[in-house]
Amino acid sequence: MAKHLLKFSVNGKDHALVVESHERLLDVLRDRLGLKGTKEGCGTGDCGICAVLMDGKLINSCLIFAVQARNKKIQTVEALGTADNLHPVQRAFMKWNASQCGFCIPAMLLAAKDLLDHNPSPTDDEIREATSGILCRCTGYVKIVEAVQTAASEMRK
Amino acid sequence: MRRFDMYVPEDLTDLLEYLDSHQSGVHIIANGSDLINRIQRRQVNPRVLVDLSGLSEFNYVRKEGNTIRIGAMTTISDLIASPIIDSRHDVFREAAAKFGGPSIRNVATVGGNICAASSSEDLLPVLLVLDAQVRVKSKLGERVLRLEDFLKGKRVTELKANEILVETMFHELDEQSACAFEKIGMRNSLIIAFVSATVYLKLDKKSKRAEQIRIAFNRVGGKIPERAKHTEEKLRGEVLNPQLIDDAIASLRSELRLSSDFRVSGDYRSDVACVLFKRALDRCVEKLV
Amino acid sequence: MVMVEERATVENLAKSRHLLVVGKSIERIDSLDKVLGKPIYTMDILPENALYLKVVRSTHAHALLKRVDVSKARKHPGVVAVVTAQDIPGINESTALLPDKPLLASERVRFAGEPIAAIASYDPAIAEEAVDLVEVDYAPLPAVFSPVDAFKADAPKVHPDGNIAKHMKLRKGNIEEGFKQADIIVEETYKSQFQEPVPLEPEAGFVIPEPDGSVTCVGSIQSPFHVQTGIAKILSLRPEQVRVIQAVTGGAFGPKSDEIPVDVLGMAALVAVKTRKPAALAYTREESMIGHTKRHPFVTTLKAGVKKNGALTAWETTMLADTGAYASLGPLVVIRACFHATGPYVIPHVKTDAFCVYTNNTMAGSFRGFGGPQAHFAAESHMDAIAKKLDMDPLDLRLLNMLRPGSLMATSQVVDESFGLEECVKKAIEESDWHRKREQFSKMKGPKRRGLGIALMYHGNSLGPEGSDYASVNMQIEKDGTVRFRTGLTEYGTGAPSGLIQIAAETMHLPVEYFKIDPPDTDYCNDTGPTVASRTITIGGRATQMVAGELHQKLKEIAAGMLGSSAKDVESENGVFSVRTNPRSSVSYSNVVRSAYDQGVQLKESGTFTAPKCEYDPETSQGTTYLQYTYGAVTAEVEVDTETGQLQVLKMVTAYDVGKAINPLSLEGQIEGGTVQGLGYAIMEELVHKDGVVLNPNLADYYIPTSLDIPEIKSVIVEYPGHLGPYGAKAIGEPPIVLPAPAIVNAIDNAIGVRLNEIPATPDRVLIAYKRMIEKTQKA
Repeated sequence: MAKHLLKFSVNGKDHALVVESHERLLDVLRDRLGLKGTKEGCGTGDCGICAVLMDGKLINSCLIFAVQARNKKIQTVEALGTADNLHPVQRAFMKWNASQCGFCIPAMLLAAKDLLDHNPSPTDDEIREATSGILCRCTGYVKIVEAVQTAASEMRK
Repeated sequence: MRRFDMYVPEDLTDLLEYLDSHQSGVHIIANGSDLINRIQRRQVNPRVLVDLSGLSEFNYVRKEGNTIRIGAMTTISDLIASPIIDSRHDVFREAAAKFGGPSIRNVATVGGNICAASSSEDLLPVLLVLDAQVRVKSKLGERVLRLEDFLKGKRVTELKANEILVETMFHELDEQSACAFEKIGMRNSLIIAFVSATVYLKLDKKSKRAEQIRIAFNRVGGKIPERAKHTEEKLRGEVLNPQLIDDAIASLRSELRLSSDFRVSGDYRSDVACVLFKRALDRCVEKLV
Repeated sequence: MVMVEERATVENLAKSRHLLVVGKSIERIDSLDKVLGKPIYTMDILPENALYLKVVRSTHAHALLKRVDVSKARKHPGVVAVVTAQDIPGINESTALLPDKPLLASERVRFAGEPIAAIASYDPAIAEEAVDLVEVDYAPLPAVFSPVDAFKADAPKVHPDGNIAKHMKLRKGNIEEGFKQADIIVEETYKSQFQEPVPLEPEAGFVIPEPDGSVTCVGSIQSPFHVQTGIAKILSLRPEQVRVIQAVTGGAFGPKSDEIPVDVLGMAALVAVKTRKPAALAYTREESMIGHTKRHPFVTTLKAGVKKNGALTAWETTMLADTGAYASLGPLVVIRACFHATGPYVIPHVKTDAFCVYTNNTMAGSFRGFGGPQAHFAAESHMDAIAKKLDMDPLDLRLLNMLRPGSLMATSQVVDESFGLEECVKKAIEESDWHRKREQFSKMKGPKRRGLGIALMYHGNSLGPEGSDYASVNMQIEKDGTVRFRTGLTEYGTGAPSGLIQIAAETMHLPVEYFKIDPPDTDYCNDTGPTVASRTITIGGRATQMVAGELHQKLKEIAAGMLGSSAKDVESENGVFSVRTNPRSSVSYSNVVRSAYDQGVQLKESGTFTAPKCEYDPETSQGTTYLQYTYGAVTAEVEVDTETGQLQVLKMVTAYDVGKAINPLSLEGQIEGGTVQGLGYAIMEELVHKDGVVLNPNLADYYIPTSLDIPEIKSVIVEYPGHLGPYGAKAIGEPPIVLPAPAIVNAIDNAIGVRLNEIPATPDRVLIAYKRMIEKTQKA
């Protein structure tokens, strides 16, 4: 029981990997699947930088062992869009220069997408609430809120 | 991180069988958030982790008669989204609102909150004032205890090595009873409370007599959430009036033995505990008007 | 390479009247990769089969190292190498300014957490296990943990020459005379804390040993050339044998600009050189918070003399800065604090003594603001204290004493016309609804009270007296017309390098899309000094204008040749070169480039801009200390819960004279980010040491503001072009973190009548102060 066969789906693709008990979901995403978009800011679940969507729910990937992600559908920032086909939240963040150092941005984008998928017309307070578990040191959060509003309005069209 | 094995039970029977036959160096994880930190800090060195995350049958909120039953694997997010936790039971939303952040609430479980047995678990004082019970199961059967008796000290519960917590239950609030939660920390999200105060009040609306009152804080004299029973005594059965409440606050001040740490002093905690108690009590009364 | 000293003239500034790109809120050039989650940060691009390092750190705050035994660790299965001071081929030094700090401790440790050894394995868990196998015998030494204690003559010595790393003085006029002229004297002591920068990406770096004996270092860095020099010394290599590349960096704020990346890459380099394998070191968050540099705590005593009408006559300051076990850039921090100790006011008699003091706490060093926040917290709190004593509106006291063009600063530097402070104050007062709100708030009853406070600042731009202030830029046009821009100035969130591209595009009249910035790399960038002190736009921008201008001139000459004209008659606009007197005679940019290549003409220019030196008397700090100043006025509206001491900061107006906003949207982003970081400094952030051990080296117990903690922020940009920066631009990276603390502390006083002389203004401090005040009032 030190090794397990992990079957799960990441960004719409099915995977079957042998993982060790101690490997966190974050480690498997980054080191086994090469998806470096999810970052590690503290490793203790206090900053939210490692957040991904698991079965549509925002979770801290540093606090889940990979084995616990079995049969789940994981979405990381890489699922949002490509250079030629950006998700509205990605476009909006670029428009507002809401990404400064960029380290919190993957988590912020997923939190924004998650919010807008459930609440197409959020208030600024609701946006701040949705991102309240992710720390940002560069922006003061202001342009992030603006960007999410712009994305919301785009997505409502 | 240190290495360990993980056991993934197929179902409850398998889990109970495993716990019965393997008892040393075994740690149970619902999601792991609390434990991962403790492993990284070398506070605990498990041999085997038993992963409960697949036991989805324990993620429920049900009402049976007048009893609300919450499965141990219910996440905080699922709890507050349940229609059974209606506006009368908003206290759960009040407590959840400032517990961690959205991503923490999506994985933290009610059972995890209870078994962590720590003053940083905001649901515990709420369940204590609701006089909740817990059901634990083992291969040999099950038992029901009062939550109060289940919690023994910091990170210490009544749970035996071969037992698992499966649900918590409490009597639902009726139109004469209300519950309110107050918390204060250093910022507005991702906080562990300096102080939290929860009040349960059953009020005779005509006489304004407090037929039943229960008060709990994240800490009273020890390191876990507890009820302030001496202060409850001062109010139980009495007609609520400002003088009575002041006396109760004075009693509370002497009942509280709150320690200082590098964040804030014990005196500050006591002062604020009294303020939050009064605010929670006032809100209970408001909710019943 | 061209070395040119140039002063921006009013004529140059006049040319900035019709700008196409500068002054526009265009999208940053680094956003796309970041929103796509591309693998661009240090830990995303590790070489295959890199070794991972774990660091063995001192558990004592001050001790002799009697024995360091790594033999068991070396033998542990899976451990590939262990390095100690003995393994250093060159000099055991990793420093910022003074030669006071080793890379790895050998005889003595001076702070709890100081690196002693590093262990390398292909499996980080094994390296971590082996940390426990290193045996260290400590002989504890007496230790000292406060700058006040360390300042005393009989204090334990942290360094052989004593505990004072720097004493900076300012003397203007005659302080005794100044106090004689005063009607009232106001004296207070102010205390501020260790603020932890918390870049969201902890320190990281890796080193690849090259076959020719050189090394390639990649890391999360602000200053590649400082790292190059440092690693070369450690490895006993020539600087040319050390290549340093900055990977995309997830936040910095100061700790990544000096010795810390040299620590990280130095340890990795020792392993890489020893094993001939790539070696990587990534600090955990805990290590980062213990091991890297933070903001200096200050203890500041201020004594001011003032006339009954509010005119300041004397200002005497003593500052003790706790620099921790090693000085880092502490001496320069106290220099800046010394110069700014009065705040932006006219005071005839000034005496300032600022001391950089060693203790056995963890290190303090560069952090956004660099002494400005501490100086202004004290000075601007003191202005309100004075106003309170005189029963004067704190705004009126400030307006009475404020600097104005022609007046003298504390350094006797004359304020020039590039002075936007008055307008900043005016706008801040308007936007905050100062008079009406303060009137309204004074009448509030009930447990929740509101208050409105103000603070003013000035910020001498760039390095000034802190060092040689230069920047280098290389530009090259490729065959397809792409303009490759190379500089050693680094992007770590500020957006400033994107701003340089805007300046280059403006200068060359080309679309921004034609430009590409290469990663800062010592192989192909010229030494450009550190990316600090908000100097990228000001100094880097001047270098950019210069080099872009020369490249543009070259293009015009080629175009002129093709058009049968002379360069002075050729104009260009948006990639089209034409003859001024005959616009239909034109040639496209891409054809000009092709022609250049055909003719074998190199479309390549590089240059260094060096700012004029600042001259001042080091004994009295009288003279020109900075070439231009940024000014600002900030108001804070707070609500205080008088029963719990909790604060909510509701609204802040942040008005800055930025000279010229190169990209207003990015600039606002910097203002907002700095304001929130300053708000954290004011009310919730404190890295707590007990006997030298950090009690809260994690993000659960060290609180930075979340999205639910931010006030409404109204940014006002005012432009009074300066003489130093391109288009008159002034430094804006650091100023926004300076004023939230005094503005909030002053607002608290307005709300509940209590002056807090210590930050952070946590709920318990507020409540205790409030209750004391109530008791006092009741007794009276």
